[in-house]
Amino acid sequence: MHPFTYTRVSDTGEAVNAGHRGGRYIAGGTTLVDLMRETVEHPESLVDISGLPLREVTVTERGGLRIGALVTMAEAAAHPKVRTLYPVISEALELSASAQLRNMATVGGNIMQRTRCTYFRDVTAACNKREPGSGCAALHGFNRSHAILGTSESCVATHPSDAAVAFAALEAQVHLLGPGGGRRIPFADFLLRPGNTPDREQALRRGELITAVEIPALPRPLKSGYLKVRDRQSYEFALTSAAVALHLRGGLIREAKVAVGGVGTVPWKLPAVEQHLLGERPSESLWEAAAAKATAGTRPLEHNRFKVELLRRTVERQLRIVGGTK
Amino acid sequence: MSPQPQAAVGAPLSRVDGRLKVTGKALYAAEHDVDGAVHAVIVDAGIGRGRITGIDTRSAETHPGVLKVIHHRNAPKLPYRDNSGSNNPEGRRLRVFQDDRVRFHGQPVAVVVATTLEAAQHGASLVKVRYDAEQPSTDLTKAEPDRPTNYARGDAEAALRSATVRLDLTYRTARNHHNPMEPHATIARWDGGKLTVWDKTQWVVGTQTELAAVFGLETDAVRVISPFVGGGFGTSLRCWPHVVVAALAARETKRPVKLVLSRKQMYLGTGFRPSYEYRLRLGSDRRGRLSAAVHDLDAETSSYEKFTESILAAGQMLYSMPNVSQAYRTVPLDLPTPLYMRGPGFQTASFVIESAMDELAHKLGVDPIELRRRNEPNEDESSGLPFSTRRLRECYTVGAREFGWHRRAPRPRSTREGDWLIGRGMAAGVYDTARMPAQARARLDADGTALVEAAATDMGPGTYTSQTQVAADALGLTVRSVTFRLGDSLYPPTPPHGGSMTMASVGSATLDACNNVRRQAINMAVEDRESPLYGVAADDVVVRGGRLHVKNDPTRGETYRRLLARNDRTHLEADGSFAPPSGPERHSFYGYNATFAEVAVDATLGLVRVRRVLGVYDAGRIISPKLADSQALGGMVGGIGTALLERTVTDHRDGRIVNANLADYLVPVNADVPDLKAIYLDGEDREADPLGVKGLGELVMIGVAPAIANAVFNATGRRVRELPITAEALL
Repeated sequence: MHPFTYTRVSDTGEAVNAGHRGGRYIAGGTTLVDLMRETVEHPESLVDISGLPLREVTVTERGGLRIGALVTMAEAAAHPKVRTLYPVISEALELSASAQLRNMATVGGNIMQRTRCTYFRDVTAACNKREPGSGCAALHGFNRSHAILGTSESCVATHPSDAAVAFAALEAQVHLLGPGGGRRIPFADFLLRPGNTPDREQALRRGELITAVEIPALPRPLKSGYLKVRDRQSYEFALTSAAVALHLRGGLIREAKVAVGGVGTVPWKLPAVEQHLLGERPSESLWEAAAAKATAGTRPLEHNRFKVELLRRTVERQLRIVGGTK
Repeated sequence: MSPQPQAAVGAPLSRVDGRLKVTGKALYAAEHDVDGAVHAVIVDAGIGRGRITGIDTRSAETHPGVLKVIHHRNAPKLPYRDNSGSNNPEGRRLRVFQDDRVRFHGQPVAVVVATTLEAAQHGASLVKVRYDAEQPSTDLTKAEPDRPTNYARGDAEAALRSATVRLDLTYRTARNHHNPMEPHATIARWDGGKLTVWDKTQWVVGTQTELAAVFGLETDAVRVISPFVGGGFGTSLRCWPHVVVAALAARETKRPVKLVLSRKQMYLGTGFRPSYEYRLRLGSDRRGRLSAAVHDLDAETSSYEKFTESILAAGQMLYSMPNVSQAYRTVPLDLPTPLYMRGPGFQTASFVIESAMDELAHKLGVDPIELRRRNEPNEDESSGLPFSTRRLRECYTVGAREFGWHRRAPRPRSTREGDWLIGRGMAAGVYDTARMPAQARARLDADGTALVEAAATDMGPGTYTSQTQVAADALGLTVRSVTFRLGDSLYPPTPPHGGSMTMASVGSATLDACNNVRRQAINMAVEDRESPLYGVAADDVVVRGGRLHVKNDPTRGETYRRLLARNDRTHLEADGSFAPPSGPERHSFYGYNATFAEVAVDATLGLVRVRRVLGVYDAGRIISPKLADSQALGGMVGGIGTALLERTVTDHRDGRIVNANLADYLVPVNADVPDLKAIYLDGEDREADPLGVKGLGELVMIGVAPAIANAVFNATGRRVRELPITAEALL
């Protein structure tokens, strides 16, 4: 671990100033400290934001939900409003990491977490994300866990968060506070595809701090859920995953939100699948036909070809679990 | 002497060291408080093969707290005397910092010693090493093997050609790492020319002799202390280079040095179960009577040592057949040297043979248990020797009954529950009943308590407890009155704590030492005019609860305490030993099991979930039933890992291990561990050793992986011949 300075801040203004001066924010530290130990990350100055008043879960005026950036994963998952309004979020959180990590890690940190690509985490390997221009060892290396969507020649690493898949599906907004004031951006614009700059992962400006994630109001009743497919039954990142939310009225699907994880360089929204579902009546054949659209544009690598078919099946399964059949 | 009543042996005791462990007072290697200890961190090679052309240590050396950076350019030449003991395989062992060669990715190339761990870690990251890299060869299937080790009886190829039914199957098993919870750790201290190390080791004597050989010392000049080991599974059966590094660093800095491997470094040079490519051809008649088996197997080893394990024995003796031929080829690769891992050899052989038997059963339409019964031998056909005990048939019978084998649908893919396909499978398991010479020392004190010592290890199976039980009964004391000490090379020597031989070997030495002490006490009493036992035949005296008495007249006797006090003795003391009979064996010694598994396989997502595992063991006498269960259940969990999760992945481009951490190298978590049950056939093996035990720790893992693989076939109709079985094979 490289030497660093450590400062605790007690209000957001102070935090943003420190961030603007080049400080790295740290809350639960479950990703950053880990990566500092591996010397993947070597910030010179850490700004501990865990004392900031960003720990509330509130219902917005329009009936959405605002989750403070410092709400822990465990608190968010167990929050009655989250559980009743958006079970997909609770499930995604509870299928993540371990109980110990969920008690420490925050929602803001969760969407900031960095990839599990083992070449990224090994400082002796080539990685454009860690060291721009050094190459991508994963592209022709062992890439079973890597992405099949949104990849580039520079990077094929997946975004590891489960919660982010749910947020992407639900079209959440990320609230940011910077030196110039606050702003909010759609989740889809917050996490960046690698392109030629895989080291740039979020649309954050210098010093900007995540203050909350806001889930928009959706028509009720909304059925939702998260399916995570992995080799072992707990404490593992997803091979594939699917977040699905459906609103039915009069027996027809009126609203459909679908995103998948474990397959994309960012949480991957599936508008073609959503479109296919709208106005339709739930049926086995509908789920199958909709899921067939999930794999458009996939670009598998040597060791993750199976993910294409697994992705299709994962989406189909989760549509059936959430939507049921008549 | 009269046999002692057995009160402690066979009782389901909790660990005698359990309280120390749960209160954190059991000290593991890195936890010993050695005054003035400084910290060492190893720098790992960043290439898979080649030469070091330059090493820049300036920024490391100027980092505050860093005391010294040691590497091949400034390290003293070490004697590295030959040492065929210490579990060093044939070859030339890796000599740390003695030359510029890099033989595998992650090899130690330097060590940074600093006053704090943080300074040492940071210092290690500042060492810049330049290399002349060569292309490493790490792919088992693409390298030139060594000359094979062969075995043959009959003419297997000819018998195969004329067999009515033939199978030709190739299996692959992944490299597995031991992954104990406790990392390797060593604290080394020199006092003049004497070296003391606190080390994570499964063999203090082996580490002692190896350090003596490396540094050119008398064996007595090295003391190795290792009272607790936080899991081993074989990885600590050898004194690895990092132990030498710690001792070297301590000598060069003239301070005690603590060196703890990182989790990543646990994958870089402390052994592993090698990957195999194993072709097995079977020939049988229509009823499944085997006529021939041809085994062709390739296994990983390093470029500098030829590691071999007992992979061939099971193929020679598990089933009856006149014709067997085997060719076992090690393949030298630019990898570190493998080492024994739980159930070495037999575990891999069992996966292959038992999968193939299941394939044969399916092909013939014969029940898998019935097929095995039809091929049950009457003697060990590899040696012609009778079995000491072989109760595999009973294992089948009991297992089938307890598991509900009759409810298994023989036709694959015929049981479904929602999205899940349900399957059941079984396998036989066998493991060598290993015993080696061992010694122990017992002392009975005037207060009626006893102390027993042996240089043994307890990596988790409960050596402290089981040895205490044996000693308590032999001395006629309660368990509470007996203390067993281990893990110090000053104690009487014992064999490696591996191969399931500790109970048989050390246990028999403990028994002997305690019998000798009891005999002394009895003799003292019957010759002492003031003793109520005066004049009684020594053979008629037993000891119970610390009181000697006439076997058939408990009222006549006295306590150890009275006897020793009256005779002005502070203590009685005796050595004990055990050695397997010299000369050729008269029996074939093995433990056996039948293992049953039930799995659910998600029909569309390809996920395998184990629902239950049952093992039935012919392991001889069970000394400590509660700890035996811990062993058995742990072995099953290990088997689940091997079957479904565990594999070490190498990037053949540069020889690096890609998943050297516990997030990417998967071991089962609690959610993966289902209903597990162990049953031990009541009995003992009197031919094997005085305690009648056959060893348990290896046996319980063997058979689990093939039982699961066979259950997966029964569930899905898909035969997966490669471990681990992951989703992509079942989609």
